[in-house]
Amino acid sequence: MRPDLSIEIAGVKFSNPILTASGTCGYGEELAEVFNLSRLGGIVTKSITVLPREGHPPPRTAETEAGMLNAIGLANVGVDRFIEDKLTFLEKYNTVVVVNVAGAKLSEYVEISKRLADCPRADMVELNFSCPNVEAGMEIARDPELAEKAVGEVKKVFPRPVIAKLSPNVSDIALIARACESGGADALAVINTLVGMAVNIETFRPRLTNNTGGLSGPAIKPVALAKVNQVYNAVKIPIIGIGGIMNWVDVVEFFLCGACAVQVGTGLFVEPDAPIKIIEGLRKYLSSNKFSSVRELTGKLRKY
Amino acid sequence: MSKIVVENVKIIKKKSLGRGNFIFEMAPFSKTKSIKPGQFVHIRQPRTNLLFRRAFSVYDFDAANRTLSIIFKVFGRGTSLMAKLERGAALDVMGPLGNGFKYPSKRKTVILAAGGIGMPPLYLLAKTLLSRGYDPDRILYFYGGSSKADLVDISRIKKLGIRVYPSTDDGSYGFKGFVTDAITDNVDLTNGKHHLYGCGPEGMLKALDELALSKNLPGQLSLEAPMPCGIGICLGCIKPLRAGGYTRICREGPVYDVGEVLL
Repeated sequence: MRPDLSIEIAGVKFSNPILTASGTCGYGEELAEVFNLSRLGGIVTKSITVLPREGHPPPRTAETEAGMLNAIGLANVGVDRFIEDKLTFLEKYNTVVVVNVAGAKLSEYVEISKRLADCPRADMVELNFSCPNVEAGMEIARDPELAEKAVGEVKKVFPRPVIAKLSPNVSDIALIARACESGGADALAVINTLVGMAVNIETFRPRLTNNTGGLSGPAIKPVALAKVNQVYNAVKIPIIGIGGIMNWVDVVEFFLCGACAVQVGTGLFVEPDAPIKIIEGLRKYLSSNKFSSVRELTGKLRKY
Repeated sequence: MSKIVVENVKIIKKKSLGRGNFIFEMAPFSKTKSIKPGQFVHIRQPRTNLLFRRAFSVYDFDAANRTLSIIFKVFGRGTSLMAKLERGAALDVMGPLGNGFKYPSKRKTVILAAGGIGMPPLYLLAKTLLSRGYDPDRILYFYGGSSKADLVDISRIKKLGIRVYPSTDDGSYGFKGFVTDAITDNVDLTNGKHHLYGCGPEGMLKALDELALSKNLPGQLSLEAPMPCGIGICLGCIKPLRAGGYTRICREGPVYDVGEVLL
């Protein structure tokens, strides 16, 4: 029997648990030249802000050991053009559209979510409380009371499920996770990038104009797995795992640690068709291990 | 909508060109139908701790034999590893990517200005123009380097039968000086009959850009930047546009009209 890859988060049905991560797939237009986006469980858009942003000056990416640093600085077209051009482009695909929302202050998260409330193609919103390259987001990411309030305010204006994306750059991620859960978050995305730095020894300068950037890629996978498991033990709501996923083995690991879905990010830069290969690999793994559904894997970690 | 493909190919020929420059001839490119001069391929590195692919302009493409060639110079960790690969080694090659050059009017005299490792795309452009019926006497290939050894594979350009003007900073071969000086020394740019193409180090591109703008010379420049993704999704390889905002070199480029990008 063909194993069932479908999952459900807060009433939203996904054909499979593989999503593309925010900031690594634009608004889907480029990836649509690589594979049919309908094959994805979901697509999480680039962070949307109230006004368009150009982002930080180059260089804003750097290769590091088994990873990369980025400080793009939330470059995006702004909510108006996003709704007009980008969201309409996604109309024709049969995949869950999660719109990632970022703001300089709480009111901006609310303003954007309110606009998206009237766009049925925005199946869910993901609140970027954790962009390490923009200070405002980080304040909410670090402060449980603010995080709870922010989720609550967005929930009041957005009628569909809300995901809070958590930062690993905090002393206790479980505390923030519980706060978002109390605020009414329907799911959590764990984790965003880790703050890092790369240095050029000839110029004595950091390799990014922003000085620091967000570390992603396989280098952060062990951190991400630990955080997913920690959050899994702290909350009841579903967890979407993110951090250095390159292949289906990584996905199984995230599921065992407590994820019910995953996002592939930096892996897309290496292999833009990685999600397709992952879906095929995951199906084979489930089949050969006699699992009838991918859902059976979530949280099955046997700890010592 | 053009589909982006990944080809699993082998190195069928490797040749050292000296000074850390190498040619790889790779095959079979079974899904790639045609390639425009100025387009590039994005090659996955032979070690997983190097995450980013490396971008290389296409040097030559033989559709009948399904072979594609690149030239690269050992620069960092990725190209050092690539230089150690031997004939028969497998490579994961994505492409062709990028926009490629636009072709000029046949009435124009074409000036191709290459600096060092910027040579390959302009070689393919010259070859393509010839196959499209352009007059070889009106294709002028200016090839500059710091010294003679930097003018890699120049014999292949000469074999095209076009006019080749070598130049070196140290005078060890051809004209002594920069490519821009070699151009102004050999060509009367005031008659409005020329079209410029350039590829090379950023300093040279900037000089070409200034030259073209000051002489009202139409043309295109092929730019380079480290490209994490190569398909426009990471927003890493950006450069500022003169008109404001940024452009993605891998997606909107790598070829731009002179004056378009703030160099």
